Amino acid sequence: MPPAQGSAQRMFCALAQAGRVLTGRQIAGRSLTVFPDDIFLVSYPRSGNTWTRFLLGNLINQSDPVRFSNVESRIPEIYFNRDRFLRELQRPRMLKSHESFQPEYQRVIYLVRDPRDVAVSFYHHNVKARNISDDYPIASFVPRFIAREFDRKFGSWRDNVLSWTVLRKDDPGFLLLRYEDMKRDPVVSLTRLVDFLERCSFRKIDSSAAALQRAIELSSPERMRTLEKQDAGHWVLTKGTRSDKPFVRSATSGGWKSQLDRESVAAIESAWGDLMQSLGYELASTAAAADTVSQRGLPS
Amino acid sequence: MQALLRKRSKVNQPSRLWTHLKTVASSTLGRTPAGRFLTVFPNDIFLVSYFRSGSTWSRFLFGNFIHLDEPVTFTNVEKLVPFVYGWPDRKLRSLPRVLKSHECFDPRYPRVIYIVRDPRDVAVSFYFYNLKVRVIPDGYSMDEFVSRFVAANVVPYADRVGCWEDHVLSWVRLREGKTGFSLVRYEDLLADPVKELTNLAPMLGIDPAPERVERAVRLSSASHMRSLEKEQSKQWATTKATRQDIPFVREAKSGGWRHKLSTSAVKTIEQAWGSTMKELGYDLATDAAADRELVKG
Repeated sequence: MPPAQGSAQRMFCALAQAGRVLTGRQIAGRSLTVFPDDIFLVSYPRSGNTWTRFLLGNLINQSDPVRFSNVESRIPEIYFNRDRFLRELQRPRMLKSHESFQPEYQRVIYLVRDPRDVAVSFYHHNVKARNISDDYPIASFVPRFIAREFDRKFGSWRDNVLSWTVLRKDDPGFLLLRYEDMKRDPVVSLTRLVDFLERCSFRKIDSSAAALQRAIELSSPERMRTLEKQDAGHWVLTKGTRSDKPFVRSATSGGWKSQLDRESVAAIESAWGDLMQSLGYELASTAAAADTVSQRGLPS
Repeated sequence: MQALLRKRSKVNQPSRLWTHLKTVASSTLGRTPAGRFLTVFPNDIFLVSYFRSGSTWSRFLFGNFIHLDEPVTFTNVEKLVPFVYGWPDRKLRSLPRVLKSHECFDPRYPRVIYIVRDPRDVAVSFYFYNLKVRVIPDGYSMDEFVSRFVAANVVPYADRVGCWEDHVLSWVRLREGKTGFSLVRYEDLLADPVKELTNLAPMLGIDPAPERVERAVRLSSASHMRSLEKEQSKQWATTKATRQDIPFVREAKSGGWRHKLSTSAVKTIEQAWGSTMKELGYDLATDAAADRELVKG
């Protein structure tokens, strides 16, 4: 839970904000200047957004691979960068955002990930960010994650995912990608991404099989882990967090099966089961029920 | 032509330096309206709607229902039922927390009374409002305006929250059936305000005694609001710099679109948002026309 702000801290924040305004350095965030040709890479936190930024960045600019130290000028995120800086980027811009539905965003690539894996990843992320201690039980974290205590402004996983999928599902300017599909077959997912960017009349991208393969290799978890070690102290997202905990963690899907207890899984599934199923995430609770049925035999 | 357009848009836009200086001044003095940066508290209640959907009337209605010591007028409404764009965040912390907002879905709002109005009437009302605030000139084509309205291409502050359908669906799809959300049709509120206020009383934590409900309805009638507007329009932030020959409180009726919109304008709206309109109980004129054709055929 974010600590209650003391008055000294509030005053510091106010002064820091005044300083940023005076020098024209306000962070873009929700007051971002949006252009109609912007392409947004949107997701709930911990859903593969950084990996996708690497994949796309490595594909778009093949001569100069993405690192943590240059990703913020290639596909910058809106929460740590100045609006003025973002306005000066080459158009059309590609930007990372965690916002729930924003009518202003006209071209959106939305990444969704199994919320049970998001819960695990978000737990470790909050340990890294020192919001919770090492020994804080994940079973206590999950209900607070569902109640969106850790990031109020983006909404819950459900709010974030549903707001985009329900409002933009059939829009030609919207592409929905599942993290799990990207992991399983990155070539297919990258091809869909390239097609989408072409429809958005983005800069011409070399999408030959060799180029796709190279982009995938340059964005592998191993390589990203090595890069993180080199740049973590300079990257806005990792600066000041615990250096003994990695930002690029397991980079797999299904980790929840070994990391979450039965109650935590049930809590997530009872909160968001319908939406999970509509996105193709099979529920452990219905699987368990089906097992029981198959063991006992179907009722005659 | 392109060059001319670009030049003209430059002339109409305030210079970047001027905008920057204004931002610096208002921020340094702590006067930037809260808007999207509002600090939201767990007990807050929001009156949310698209533009021109009865939100000012509902501020009177709910304000008069909640506050018994003084009737709501245009001079105290900003204090009694504040607008999230009307005050800085700091000031809003000490004001009553039933707040008016025009925001599209905001996951942080804990309790929301969402007022929806027939978009054909919204279009008409928004047309006259934009005449009043000089966004469009006298004689501007209503058909042209309706096309811009449907495309959310009217004026930046409004376009930012999306078109009517995006706005309505963002709230309805995300929150309908959840505790802390009530969907109210402007038309129902108009037809039977007593019933609607009584229904909403539990969310507001108010005992809906009949006298209390009737007082609120009486003090918020269109005729009462019109006479208040005549006296106070120069004192209210929303109307003071606008054309005084066009009223803010206009018809306060439903169905006015029938004689204000052309058949093609109605068609434009219904083609864009027909299914959502039907879902909300607004019958389509194009359906009715097709039925008549069938009968005739």
